Amino acid sequence: MSRESILKAVKKNKPESLPLPEIDLSFFEEEINLVETFIDNLKFVGGQAIQLNAIEAMDAEIKKLYPKASKIVSCVKESTLGTISINKDTEPHGLEDIDLAIIKGELAVAENGAIWIAESDFTIRALPFITNDLILIVEKKDIYLHLHHVYEAISKRERTFGVFISGPSKTADIEQCLVVGAHGAMSLTVFIV
Amino acid sequence: MAHADEAAVFNKDEAKVDWHDKALWFVRQKRDKSAHNVKGWENLRDLASAIKANVLSNLDGYLLQFEENAQKNGVTVHWAADAEEHNKIVHSILAKHDVKKVVKSKSMLTEECHLNPYLESHDIEVIDTDLGERIVQLAQEPPSHIVLPAIHKRKEEVDVLFQEHLGTKPCNGDPQYLTSEARKHLRDKFLKADAAITGVNFAVADTGGFVVCTNEGNADMGAHLAKVHIACMGMEKLIPQEKHLGVFLRLLARSATGQPITTYSSHFNKPEPGKEMHIVIVDNGRTEQLSREDFRASLHCIRCGACMNTCPIYRRSGGHSYKATIPGPIGSILSPGIDLKKHSSLPFASTLCGSCSDVCPVKINIHEQLYKWRQVIVKDVPQPVVKKTVLKIAGSVLANSKMYSFVGKSSRFMLKHAPRFLIYSKLNAWGKARDLPEVKNENFDEWYKKRKKNE
Repeated sequence: MSRESILKAVKKNKPESLPLPEIDLSFFEEEINLVETFIDNLKFVGGQAIQLNAIEAMDAEIKKLYPKASKIVSCVKESTLGTISINKDTEPHGLEDIDLAIIKGELAVAENGAIWIAESDFTIRALPFITNDLILIVEKKDIYLHLHHVYEAISKRERTFGVFISGPSKTADIEQCLVVGAHGAMSLTVFIV
Repeated sequence: MAHADEAAVFNKDEAKVDWHDKALWFVRQKRDKSAHNVKGWENLRDLASAIKANVLSNLDGYLLQFEENAQKNGVTVHWAADAEEHNKIVHSILAKHDVKKVVKSKSMLTEECHLNPYLESHDIEVIDTDLGERIVQLAQEPPSHIVLPAIHKRKEEVDVLFQEHLGTKPCNGDPQYLTSEARKHLRDKFLKADAAITGVNFAVADTGGFVVCTNEGNADMGAHLAKVHIACMGMEKLIPQEKHLGVFLRLLARSATGQPITTYSSHFNKPEPGKEMHIVIVDNGRTEQLSREDFRASLHCIRCGACMNTCPIYRRSGGHSYKATIPGPIGSILSPGIDLKKHSSLPFASTLCGSCSDVCPVKINIHEQLYKWRQVIVKDVPQPVVKKTVLKIAGSVLANSKMYSFVGKSSRFMLKHAPRFLIYSKLNAWGKARDLPEVKNENFDEWYKKRKKNE
């Protein structure tokens, strides 16, 4: 292993120590409507937002949006539409033909339309990616202005695996033409309650 | 071949060059729009640059801290001095698990190390899963751009390629159909893979975690389905603390494509129970670049590709003309540090307009480094006799005001009166594919003196 020789070379070649700057949040603060900005950005990245007055109305909306979905994994107690139950020992390859996954987002970011979900929210790491369509639920109070605030908010979490998801899977690798639905979810619907 | 000669090959298809030029400029414009939407954008760039400078100045300490924390998380950390050692380490992990099929998400580092041919020579199937990378892999070409690997290919070419390799129907290059066929083809590969290899966008010293960004979800499909996940990173990918991701993730996608953030920003900390996660930290010339005071800031790079999209040379010469893993302006300051002779024409593939430095999210002084590399190269690498002679003559003309005035006058006379075939002869590179400016009778000096007299 070259560990020692690499570290020695770095020590020899690095410049004199430079200070680590502080992040001054005052540069980035803005008075904006967080929910509206979040919805605008979510649309911009190809997702759709649905505002609900009450979470009880969600299942009816889901049935309307995804009438053909039959293999559904629900990771939230607020939805009773789940037809397939998963646990820690579920083999992820078996989720290959899942139509829909419903997951509670921990928080959302207004500036980029992203939602943070962590492994404890969906049990099987592959789930939000392998499902054909994805539904995330976000509470209004959990929408933050930008990533600086969000990292503060998730700093105390148990770190295993977590992901920011901003819109459905997409690619523009053929002549810069945007195509939604590359390898991950073909669509993303976010319920804001 | 020098960059200019390679560029001439790309320039044979004029319509394609025009398309390439416009497509990349459009990406640059999207970047502008996105950046202008962010309050404090310039503060973000300043912060990112200062954080990276701090990282380089304490790199050994951060590497050790990262290693310790990653190990605590149950991740195995490996160190590779060069490409060869990197490839051997990756192969040894795969061999231990008797892996025959690997899916790989985008990683410029594994391109740099030529990992694919190495693994293939050991009877391991490696499938690039980013759509653009899969396209160039099928075409047996290297990526021509670090974010848009197949930007040099027209959709009709992709159509033909997929017919041949994936058995698709002719579709006049319909991107929707081609992408959906690629999804099916690659989904099968994800489900059958024994191991996944990914790159690393950011490695966090104080948590031992790392972040991988994709739009397609291919890194996650690979890493979460396979039993073994190997993440390969250049040693400069470190950042001190997790909160610094806030700075870099705000800059990365906006600079790259104008998106506010990539679709997926995946934070890997611990392997799943029963699975393995490995990180390979690679030097491969980086410590040497660190020793070069004038050029070490090139290690700030977060691989967004903004300098390529804005570069008038890159847009009109194509990524392959650079004959380097990383093309474009940033590649032209990184590559001479790896092989000065081989890449000696790259720092000259620039107008020194400085647009690359203006859009760089981590404020690398790219155009200044290009100029500095030129000074190193003319000393160390023999230059063509014609270039040397012409520059010598130009030097003596510019040093003598009478001579300068005489040459100016005669050039203007020639431009006005000499026959077209003479002016636009092969000897005049400036007359290639463009008209020279209209000639005025007087130069600035004469005009200024006349104006003074009339005052």
